[in-house]
Parts: sequence; C-alpha cells; structure tokens
Amino acid sequence: MRKWHLKGLTAVLVMMLLITACGTKENNTAAVNEPVEETPTEAKVLTIANPADIQSFDFQNNNTTISESVLVNMYDYLLRNDADMNKVPVLAKSWKQVDETTWRFLLRDDVKFHNGDAFTAADVKFTLERLSTDTSLKQNSLYKQIKAVNVIDDYTVDIVTDGPDPILLNRLSRMGSGMLPSKYIEAEGIEGFLAAPVGTGPYKFEKWTKDDRVELIRNDDYFGGAPKWDKLVFRAIPEASTRVSELLTGGVDIIADVPSTDVERIETADTTSIVKTPVQRVLQLVLRSTEGAVTADPKVREAIDLAIDKQAIVDSIAGGSGIVTRTSVTPGNFGADPSLYKQTLYDQDLAKTLLTEAGYAQGEAVLSLSVQSQYKEYAEVVSAMLTQVGFTVNLDILEASAFSEKMSSKTFGEMFMIGIGNSLNDASNNYNRFLLERAAGETDYNNPEVETLLQAALVNMDPEERTTQYQQVQQILAEERPAVYLFQVEAVYGVGAKVEFAPGKDEMFYAEQINPK
Amino acid sequence: MGKYMMKSLLQMIPVLFFISLIVFILVRVTGDPVALMLPETATEDDRQVLTVALGLDKPLYTQYAIFITSAIQGDFGNSFHYGQSALPLVLERLPASFELAAAAMVLAIVIAVPLGIWSAVKRNTFADLLISGVSVIGKAMPNFWMGIMLILLFSVTLGYFPVSGRGGITHLVLPAVTLAVGLAAQMTRLIRSNMLEILNQDYIRTARSKGLIELIVVGKHAFRNGLIPVVTIMSLQFTSLIGGTLITETVFAWPGLGQLLVTSVNNHDMAIVQAAVFVIAIIVILGNLLTDLVYRFLDPRIKYN
Repeated sequence: MRKWHLKGLTAVLVMMLLITACGTKENNTAAVNEPVEETPTEAKVLTIANPADIQSFDFQNNNTTISESVLVNMYDYLLRNDADMNKVPVLAKSWKQVDETTWRFLLRDDVKFHNGDAFTAADVKFTLERLSTDTSLKQNSLYKQIKAVNVIDDYTVDIVTDGPDPILLNRLSRMGSGMLPSKYIEAEGIEGFLAAPVGTGPYKFEKWTKDDRVELIRNDDYFGGAPKWDKLVFRAIPEASTRVSELLTGGVDIIADVPSTDVERIETADTTSIVKTPVQRVLQLVLRSTEGAVTADPKVREAIDLAIDKQAIVDSIAGGSGIVTRTSVTPGNFGADPSLYKQTLYDQDLAKTLLTEAGYAQGEAVLSLSVQSQYKEYAEVVSAMLTQVGFTVNLDILEASAFSEKMSSKTFGEMFMIGIGNSLNDASNNYNRFLLERAAGETDYNNPEVETLLQAALVNMDPEERTTQYQQVQQILAEERPAVYLFQVEAVYGVGAKVEFAPGKDEMFYAEQINPK
Repeated sequence: MGKYMMKSLLQMIPVLFFISLIVFILVRVTGDPVALMLPETATEDDRQVLTVALGLDKPLYTQYAIFITSAIQGDFGNSFHYGQSALPLVLERLPASFELAAAAMVLAIVIAVPLGIWSAVKRNTFADLLISGVSVIGKAMPNFWMGIMLILLFSVTLGYFPVSGRGGITHLVLPAVTLAVGLAAQMTRLIRSNMLEILNQDYIRTARSKGLIELIVVGKHAFRNGLIPVVTIMSLQFTSLIGGTLITETVFAWPGLGQLLVTSVNNHDMAIVQAAVFVIAIIVILGNLLTDLVYRFLDPRIKYN
C-alpha cells in the first residue's frame, strides 16, 4: 500500500511534466505559424530576421547597417540610391548646385509626418543642423562638413558646406540624414520622441521590444501611395541556426546573413530559397609600410598578395559568395576602376622568389595578423597560405571591441584583416585611410603622388576629373599594395515562399521593394 | 529575526558600494567605447570630440564621483548604445529573465524531486541506475547543443513549438526545458544522495517502526530534512539564471538580461553594465536573504542572531 502511494505520487508528477512540456500537437502547430501577437488573418505581415537589433529610433545615433536597413522604412531621405546606385528624389523634388559650397533643394509639399505635422524646410534645417553640430551623435563625424542650412521658403532650402563637398548628395542619401519632425521633437524633447518616434516613411512605429523585435504598421497617408504590407516585423535572432530554423518553419519570411554551411539546407527545402547580391564590403589585409616593419619592403607586400589564393577562399570558406577584386572601390561606388574588378593575382612560386629577393629565408619573415573573431576562418587560411611560401604568421584573433580599440590606437603589428563597407558609395570613403594625416602611425603609407590626387579629389566638383583621379590612385595602390584585397562580400539571404525579394547592394530592406506572392 | 533581516539589508550598502567601485573600474580599464561608436573612417579629432562629449576625458575619480552621486538617485547615466537611460533598459529585461528562470526552476523541481526520491528509495535497482545515468547525461549536455537539438526536433521536424522569441507559453517551453535539464540532473543527484543518507538515520527507522506509511516516512520525515542543501542549490541557481542564461537566450532569441549584459560588455556600454551588475547584485543579496528564511521554515531549530 505504501509503495503504491509513492508510485502514484511519482506517476502524477511525471504526467504533469509531460503535459506541461508537450501540450497538444494541434494547439502548438497553430502557435508555430502565428505571430506572437494576434493579427487579423488577412493582414499582410512581412517578417524579417536580422542577426542583431537596431540601436535606436534616433536615426542620427546609429552606426550599423542593420539599423539603417530597418529604419529606412520609417524615415525618408531627401534623395536616395536606386538599384543602379543613381540618385533619385524622395522628399526633395529636385536639387541643383548654386555654387561650390551651396546646394538648393526643392521639397515636396504633400508630405506629412506620422503625427500629422507637415514636412517643411524647417525640418530639413533642424535635422541637418542637429546632425552636424551635436558631437555626441554617432553619425556626426560624417556630417560636420555642413556649415549652415538656410530656409528660403517652406519648401526650398539651401545647404551650405564649409568647403566644396563633392559627396554631399551621398551623405544626404544614407543613415543619419532621415528627416526628423522638428516641431514634435522641440515639443516633446528627444526622450519623448524616442518613446513614440515619427517619421515620414511608408511605415509607422508600433512597438519595439529591444533585442527581440521592431514592429511597424502601414502609413495610409504615405505620400508615395498605399504601402504593400499591413505590418512589418524585424526580429533580432543572433544565432544563425535559429534564423534558419525560423525560415524553414515559416516563422519569418526573410533571413539575413545565412552561413555558407546552411545554404544547401535552405535551397533543398520545398518552400525556401537563397538569394545573393554583392554588397559594398571588401575583405582586405591592411599592411604597415612603417620603416623597420617586414611589410615596409614592397617585395614582401607583393609576396603576400601572390601567396594568397583568393578564389579558393571564396569557393571554400565563403561558400562561393564573393567576387575577387584588386580594388576596394567596387562597381556602384563613385570612382570605381573596372579594370581591377574581378581580377586576382596568385603565384606561390613567384611569392617565394620575391621573399628570397627581399632577403628572407624560410620562416624568417615574421608577420603579425590581427583579426576580428568574425573573420577568424579567413585569417587562418590566409595564415596557412602565407606559411606555405615561407612567412611565419602570428595570428591575433580579437573580439570586436578589442579589435576596434587596437585599430583606433594604431597598435596592430604588420597586418590586420578587416571587411570595410562603403555607405557613402564614394572612393573617398575607401582611401581616407591612406591620406598622410590618417596613415601616420597606422599604415605609414606615404606616396606624394597619391596624397596629391586624394587631396584634390576630396574637393573636386568635376565628376569626370574626380573619377580619373581615383582611378589613378587605384592603379598605384594595386601596384604598391598598402592593402591586399581578398574579395567583395556577397550578402546571402534566405527567402520564404510568401515573398519575392531582390536584395540591393546597400543591404537595405525597403519593404516597398519586397513583393507578397 | 527582524533584527537579522535589518542587519542583512544594512550590509547591502557597503557590498553594493564595493561592487559599484569594482565594476566602474573594470568597465573602464577593459576598453574604450568611443572606438566602437565611430565609423571606420573617423579621424583622431573625431575621437577626441566624442570622448569629450561623453565626459570620458575627465579623471577617473571625477567620473566615479559623478557616477556614484547619480547612482544613489537611481540614475546610472545614459546608454551609449541605445542613447537612453540605463536603469529602465535593465529593468525592462527583468520580466523576461524572471519568466524564463522561474519556468526552468519549476520544471527542474518537478523533474528532480520525484526522480531523486525514487532513485534513493529504489537504490541499486535498474530504475536507480537509469535515473543516475540519465542525470549524468543531462548534466553533461551543453545548453547550446541541447537548445539547437530541441529546435530541430520539436519545432522544425514536429512543428510542436515556435522556434524562438518571447510570447505565450509555447515560446517558453523549449528554452525552459533547455535550462531545466541540466538543473534537474544536478538536483536529482543531490536529492538522491541526501535521501540515501537520511533514510539510514535512526529517526527514520523509528518512524517506520511506529507503523507510518512509507509515503509519510519518505515525504515528511526524510524529504523535509534533506531539503536544506537542495534549497541552497536552488537559490544559487535561480539568481544565476536571472543574469546568466546568455547561451540559451541567444539560441532562442530570448530578450533577457543576460543577452543585454553581454551585448553591453562587448559594446563597452558602461552605463548598462553598471546598472545591470547593480540590479543583479541586489537580486543575489535578496535571494540569499530569502534562502535564510526558507532554512528557518524548514528547520525551526535554526536561529539567527
């Protein structure tokens, strides 16, 4: 009898556990396909999973592509890039250069913020002056060239720069320059604005659960017409395999940053597919030319370039998602030199000869290679290839924050590996690193001809001449190799059965360009 | 008892003060947030300007004085990453962390108590060996692997539960099971060994000789006395679950405190790290105090001076 009681108690507890853990299949299957909060069944909801969350609804205080890819659905720029990276109007109807330092913008007169305020020149002035003067904002350093914003009338505004700025339009079509509601922020303060942010975009703020999801709903008053989706959900799912599982189960419609190991799994599933596009990010080795460094010798830098089989790296570790290049200014960026794109050099025998000519026996040339942990596998393979031709490589794998600090303090050894994007879509963004002032203590690269060309291009308002200047720089850098370019990164997305998605080079998720099937 | 509680609460003040000092120093010596906040193209001048704007150019003792004066008033400063006040950002994560920790703990207790007792009562039988073996496996399985396997089986293959995120009860099951398995394994073994020791005590033989049914002997006389070490482990595990379930939170995209804390450490987001450690420290101290009270409930002979 006693034993029976004990068995009975245990059995009840085990049954409770099983009931709690499993539930019924019918109920829980429904849960998989339902969003967390119930929406009407006919509602068109687009759910996108990123590896991280946005940083803030303050567009000017973000510095990640992921943040921008979400916020572009809520805020509008004066102009933006189309698929071919040409500038097209958004909030500005047209623009023209008045003189070397002044641009005039004519604004649309039919735009309203989500709170009903009309969008006017006063909002442009508020947005750009805040951006260019508040030094605590993450985007400030890219907008400090704006000296004044003069309101001519409600729908005409002049933007004045502190000198000729050939890339002002590029600045105005990227993160940070999304237009903010001046009256609303002046009334509510920035904290009040962040609690209930408003923009002019096709989707309005609904809810933000940090590190979980951003929810936006359609703005029926959007000046560009009725939005395609009723609701957008941007989920933050840091673990890649979880993102893939969400896609396979229909929990999300699009996932970003698919690891090469999961591509086949998504491609072979019935309802999911993979889409790829080259983005403005080039993985590269930046080399020291500092006197006394092994890499100060041009022959050593050439040997490093020739020792690395970039195509093999793309084919293996990157799973075929990359394009070899000898320049970091890829097509779509101003100043690109097509003759260096889709080109690569690889000759291990010549690399060995060059190393010997430079005076190094097998293993004598010691290189330190600092790399962020996200590129660890690439650095390991590069290191192995360099070792094959006679280098000794000390790998220094660092977490993101430690790597950034090493970069900013310029304390890395002979080389560091980095993937650099180009949100300005201009060659100046690639080559500021090699300007004498910036290079001092970092690469110590010093070529007076390059310096003259780069300084001239920074203020040259003649596009053709400026392109020639940057192309000349690219040819010199391809020869002198202060950096060795490995490949242009391709973004890999997983797409579900519900949507048609053709990703752009800018890595943005413009919901209006994603079609429901 | 009241005096003891008051004394314990007063002891929190120097402990929290000491923790604030240690965390303040650690977050500053481990890195510079400015490097992470600026674009790759930023110049040295840009770095200087932002350093001044964030107040990081001031001497450390001045920064600490500003921090502690504000912290006493509940203001831990603004997060560099989110641009918002740090303490509300930390506090808004607590419900998610509590929810997951509580679910995991309840599940672990529901599993461990009957299995631990049964294992002890059925010592050296097949059931005992099976439970002990499964406990070792449960304890040895890494949460990361366990979480991914549960997703593959119960979400992708069977479609029983959502893959990730926080929502209703169905969202809670897989992350809670992931955390509970290791906990339950540890508690099962602990309960078994405690019960084995207690079941051989004289007072248990006395209880049996009085003719009490086995359920009363085991459940009331033996189990209650074997609970004190279990309560200790539960208390320690629960408080560590509140702030330290990063791997499970990451696998299941669960927006808890652990994820916020580690993201903030990686971003050198000083205000959030300081606020989060402060909140976790208070939870640990209060958890310990609560554990002391439970000891007293379980064993009235325990006195606090």
